[in-house]
Amino acid sequence: MMKQDFMFTSESVTEGHPDKLCDQVSDALLDRFLQQDPFSRVVAECAVSKGILFIAARFASAGSVDIPEVARQVIAQIGYEHTDFNARDCTVMTSLMELPSPPYPNLDEREMDEEEIDAVTAKNQGNVFGFACNQTAALMPLPIWLSHKLARRLGAARLQKQLSYLAPDGKTQVGVEYRDGRPNRIHSITLVASQQSNTPRGVRSLRDDLYQHVIEPVFLNEQLRPDARTRIFINPDGPIIDGGPSLHSGLTGRKSAVDTYGEYSRHAESALSGKDPSRIDRVGAYAARYAAKNVVAAGLAQACEVHLAYSLGMARPVSVQVDSFGTGRVPDADIADRIQAHFDFRPAAIIGAFNLRYQPQVFRGGFYRRLAAYGHVGRMDVGLPWEGTDKAPLLG
Amino acid sequence: MTILSYPLKHRDTAEPSPGESKLIDRVRVVHAQVNGRARLQIDGLYHCEPIRRRVESALAREAGIRQVSANVLTGRVLVLYDPARTVDEIKGRVEELLANPSPPPSEQRPSSNLYPLRPVQPMVSMDGSAASAQGPTQWHTLSRTAVLKALETTKEGGLSPAFAEKKLRRFGPNSLPETPPRSGLSIFLGQFKSLPVVLLGASAVLSAATGGLADAVVILGVVIINAGTGYVTEAQAERTIKALGHIGQQHAAVIRDGQLVQVEAEALVPGDIMVLVPGTRVGADGRVLESRSLMVDESALTGESLPVTKRVETLDTPEVPLGDRFNMVYKGTAITGGSGLAVVVGTGRYTEIGVIQALVGETRPPETPMQKQLDVLGNQMVLLSGGICGMMFLIGLARGYGWLQMLKTSISLAVAAVPEGLPTVATTTLALGIRNMRRRHVLVRHLDAVETLGAMQVICLDKTGTLTLNRMTVLAVHCGGRHITLANDVFHDRGMRTDPAQNEELLRLVQVGVLCNETEVNGSEGGGYELKGSATETALVQLAIAAGVAVDSLRRQYPTVRVEYRTENRNFMRTVHTVKEGGKLVAVKGSPSEVLEMCKWWIKDGIRLALTETDRTAIRMENERMAGEALRVLGFAYAEQAQADQQLAEEFIWLGITGMADPVRPGVKELIALFHQAGIDTIMITGDQSATAYAIGKELGLSRSGELDILDSTRLEQLDPEVLTGLAQKVNIFSRVSPANKLQIIQALQRSGKVAAMTGDGINDGPALRAADIGVAMGKTGTDVARSVSDVVLEDDDLRTMIIAISEGRTIYNNIRKSVHFLTATNLSEIMVMVGSIGSGLGTPLSTMQLLWINLVTDIFPALALAVEPPEPDILSRPPRDPREPILRPADFKRYGFEAFAITAGSMCSYGYAVARYGIGPQANSAAFMTLTAAQLLHAYSCRSDRHSIFSRTALQPNPYLKLALAGTGALQLASVAVPGLRSLLGTTLPSPMDMAVIAAGSGLPFLVNEATKAGARQFDREGREELASSVGDTGGTG
Repeated sequence: MMKQDFMFTSESVTEGHPDKLCDQVSDALLDRFLQQDPFSRVVAECAVSKGILFIAARFASAGSVDIPEVARQVIAQIGYEHTDFNARDCTVMTSLMELPSPPYPNLDEREMDEEEIDAVTAKNQGNVFGFACNQTAALMPLPIWLSHKLARRLGAARLQKQLSYLAPDGKTQVGVEYRDGRPNRIHSITLVASQQSNTPRGVRSLRDDLYQHVIEPVFLNEQLRPDARTRIFINPDGPIIDGGPSLHSGLTGRKSAVDTYGEYSRHAESALSGKDPSRIDRVGAYAARYAAKNVVAAGLAQACEVHLAYSLGMARPVSVQVDSFGTGRVPDADIADRIQAHFDFRPAAIIGAFNLRYQPQVFRGGFYRRLAAYGHVGRMDVGLPWEGTDKAPLLG
Repeated sequence: MTILSYPLKHRDTAEPSPGESKLIDRVRVVHAQVNGRARLQIDGLYHCEPIRRRVESALAREAGIRQVSANVLTGRVLVLYDPARTVDEIKGRVEELLANPSPPPSEQRPSSNLYPLRPVQPMVSMDGSAASAQGPTQWHTLSRTAVLKALETTKEGGLSPAFAEKKLRRFGPNSLPETPPRSGLSIFLGQFKSLPVVLLGASAVLSAATGGLADAVVILGVVIINAGTGYVTEAQAERTIKALGHIGQQHAAVIRDGQLVQVEAEALVPGDIMVLVPGTRVGADGRVLESRSLMVDESALTGESLPVTKRVETLDTPEVPLGDRFNMVYKGTAITGGSGLAVVVGTGRYTEIGVIQALVGETRPPETPMQKQLDVLGNQMVLLSGGICGMMFLIGLARGYGWLQMLKTSISLAVAAVPEGLPTVATTTLALGIRNMRRRHVLVRHLDAVETLGAMQVICLDKTGTLTLNRMTVLAVHCGGRHITLANDVFHDRGMRTDPAQNEELLRLVQVGVLCNETEVNGSEGGGYELKGSATETALVQLAIAAGVAVDSLRRQYPTVRVEYRTENRNFMRTVHTVKEGGKLVAVKGSPSEVLEMCKWWIKDGIRLALTETDRTAIRMENERMAGEALRVLGFAYAEQAQADQQLAEEFIWLGITGMADPVRPGVKELIALFHQAGIDTIMITGDQSATAYAIGKELGLSRSGELDILDSTRLEQLDPEVLTGLAQKVNIFSRVSPANKLQIIQALQRSGKVAAMTGDGINDGPALRAADIGVAMGKTGTDVARSVSDVVLEDDDLRTMIIAISEGRTIYNNIRKSVHFLTATNLSEIMVMVGSIGSGLGTPLSTMQLLWINLVTDIFPALALAVEPPEPDILSRPPRDPREPILRPADFKRYGFEAFAITAGSMCSYGYAVARYGIGPQANSAAFMTLTAAQLLHAYSCRSDRHSIFSRTALQPNPYLKLALAGTGALQLASVAVPGLRSLLGTTLPSPMDMAVIAAGSGLPFLVNEATKAGARQFDREGREELASSVGDTGGTG
């Protein structure tokens, strides 16, 4: 049973945050490999510190990618221009290992028959979680939703030159007070924005700027807005000059709460970015969200967490658990049965249903890369297949 | 001439820790016969630039010191001082200076205290040379016209050949005074200066005094033969070593009679106008007349490693340090950039570097670390054998032997036991190795490079030119929907040979490639073309020639009207040509995607078709595929216009894509595998994008682990040195780096404790080649600068000879070890036999003459033959040796002791048997003598390898010299008991067959024992197993 009166804070980071930078490089590499060869197997992990970006990639692909070049493009797009770390002359250390090509022929999951789908099993033991709740239109928890929105706006204010003195690195936090399990008011907001060293600006004017260009527009159309008692922190530790990798280091997959539900529900600890669609820990999370979202959209529950447990060598999850935190219209076990009846959680089926191998070809600018900042779930801007509520009528 | 090499070859620039107790000994007076002139030897100065600077700058400020010149190559400093001061004062000052750790205030600008060495009273007057002196004019303070006037020359015309000839006679050749080679006599006399010879002499005198005239004669004979062998080998080595460092005749470009001519650098005279171009060395001191960003690396002279920009302005003060005389260029410095003119003001010994050399005098390279170790070892052996012989003398006296007999025996034992051959063997082996390498076109320029070659752990390789051919070649063409590949100028379509003349669109593509191209084509169709242009465009002309297109006539047919180069925002080049029949042709080449964008049509099978979206996608896919193969891709299109003035209606027709690459040199892949097998890591350095670098790295198999690590950075110098040090140990490829970054790479590798080699040929490679433990320059394509700072020059530019050099370097080191092994073990056995026998009251098993015989016969020749052992078969499958390890480890000494003990045991048994049978006397002596020598000769065979024994499966390559040495020595040994004259001289008797059997057993058994217990063989097996175990790795991941 979820607590009824509480305060909950979620955080998000801008795309210039070093951890997110790493996620984006990892996923940009994945995009490029899949664009050339949809059956590429790729594991791309990054770390960044000071002026050096480390990329460890293991892959089996018919395609060929200039890995440092892709990384530099990402850095350039994010907008790092400082002399300590910029796209042009930062050092990129790549550690590349080609995997042996799989012995079996590559089959398009979209055209597989039942038997073939069954033959593609989970390659690892693992839990994946999906969550949805009716706190926002996107069926996401409100704190992470607002945090993402603030982070996006913070990034946009820089890119659209409204606050051109901002540097790419930034962090946002939103604390929401709940009453009777529903968001009641905005308790606190934290914005940490970094500035370029050549245009220093005091905390006071920064505060005004951020209030005007970030906080106000974000809450303009929200039901809950900061009130007089809302505590707003802007750079509580003083101004941050430049920020980014020259200040703190980053690592792929370290922001799994930001990528999912802002700690509001459970999430798997494994990284989502930099993994090709054959990895169940990535696509399983999408499938679980798809199921949970449809459950809430169908009105079966106000909040729903779907837990899938995969076991090595088996295609179907060994257990499908649903927790509606007491908000369910029908018993949780009943919801679980309905989900299992209408959703196919086998790895190949997920890849086929979401068209995961070909998405990077559809979105030429990159599909996975977009997921790597501002959340893999709850995105209304990308048209993600797992954000669809098309199965809700079947469940209801 | 070694003074010309850069003095910066040292690993550790850190200041030596101050306050060491040894400081008092750090300074020694080498030569102070002339009042006011002293040469001091300073410990730590050798190869240490900071100390040189410190000594020079601090001493120069001292009162009473006129001049200081320190040389890092010799570790010596020459001080010219006021005769009122004494040598000891000067020495004291230098010692204080070294003890005082505070840096001189001028640390920031090391060259600022380096005043020119030209003495106030010209040194030149001191040596009565025939050539007349060149006055010490302050040329940098004179204006250009004044200089030219003073030298009776003009900038435009230069000197006339006749006048130059006259001047050459007057001033002498422009060459530095060379140290005269050691004369044969001095080498020969040098042989008599050693301790063993003194001992032998004492022994001879003693023999003569006590009536043994024959003994004395024999001993003198031994001395002469010893000296003879030493003389022959040393004289040869001397010649080889003397030749090191020469990089052949240098030429200089000068203006004479208004003509640009090349003259030998030796023929330069004051007044010559030198034309200075990058990559060459300045031939003589000169005043700059013209400078177009002329950059000169003056580190040879000033130690300043950054190049200096030269200007023409006149300086107003005469007292300017050499490094700041920006309007002068100096002999021996290297031009690294720009160009200019300079008038020669000083040649030969009157150049700054000539003066330094005259002052420093001795430029003989110091001994290598290994030679030093061997010297120490030799001295230790002398002390050891001296002590033991003294002990034996006392034991003998105590046992009641006559003191005279014991004295003679002790002295001869000392003579026999002292390994006087050690230094000779080392020098000879090094010299022989260098000659061997020269035969394989590997030029070694420093003696210690031979040793370092054997310890090399990592080699950094230039991609372009070294690993690849440095020739862009079109490898694939995609046109008309066909993928055509090229191999050796032959076109293939899906594996089938195809004729380009039959393929309309291919022919057009090739023609456009020639027209939209700025390559200069010289020569005719029949006689082959000479192409001058960018690598890419040259490749396109080559493609046309391969396709049978007449390049010249095609260009005449379509004269170029306008060229629009590619710009930042427009990634293609566009040329407009007039067509004879009227109208014009527009040819376009550039980024495939941009070129494709402007096309509406394409050609397939000679027919113009509209480009559909499907066609475009197919072309884009092909482009991506080629790029993925690390090919440099170019797209081609053209447009024809009937009317020349029609501007708007350019309807471009897509022709296709070419993919080109710089092919890998044949054999390099195998070479890389050989390096890896030899335990040497390979690092590729390239300016390419990392995709290209990756493709080549994969093709070459650069990584030993399968995981290829690429460091992609344009600004390595910004990286934290510690981080780079950590990364450099892992990296297989450095991509997008400039040649200047090579220095950072090599330094990072060295900081991590690696012995690193680096290849290079350009001017920019100089600092890295100099800093590398082994700088490898290319002989043909390399610049003068690269060759002159390198340690090894590959004369035929073939990197494959490098593996030979490594094998040779390792073999030389091993062979020296083998000789030392043999000498140490056998000499120990002689001592053990004598001491053991006398100590146990069995009399002296070997007579004085027998000991001398052993010294003469069994010591030298097998040791020399071991020094020329062929490489062991697995020499290139072993990891490099640990550079920090001494040539003989404590474990080696233990092993040698064991071997000596085995030999001793055999000889003693044989002697014991003979004593039991014949009693103490000549028969017993003969048995011991024969057994010991035979065992020693067999041991020479055993010393051939630490690893392979006669029980090993693999056989060593035969060594004919050793066979010859062993057979010859064996025959002599037999003669010693068979020939009556020798028998009486040596006091031997003819052994009976039974004795012979005992001798054979006494010498053979120790041999078998020593062979069976070789530690190396067992260790070798174990290593093999470990390797096997470690290769079973997990390639999976857990991420």
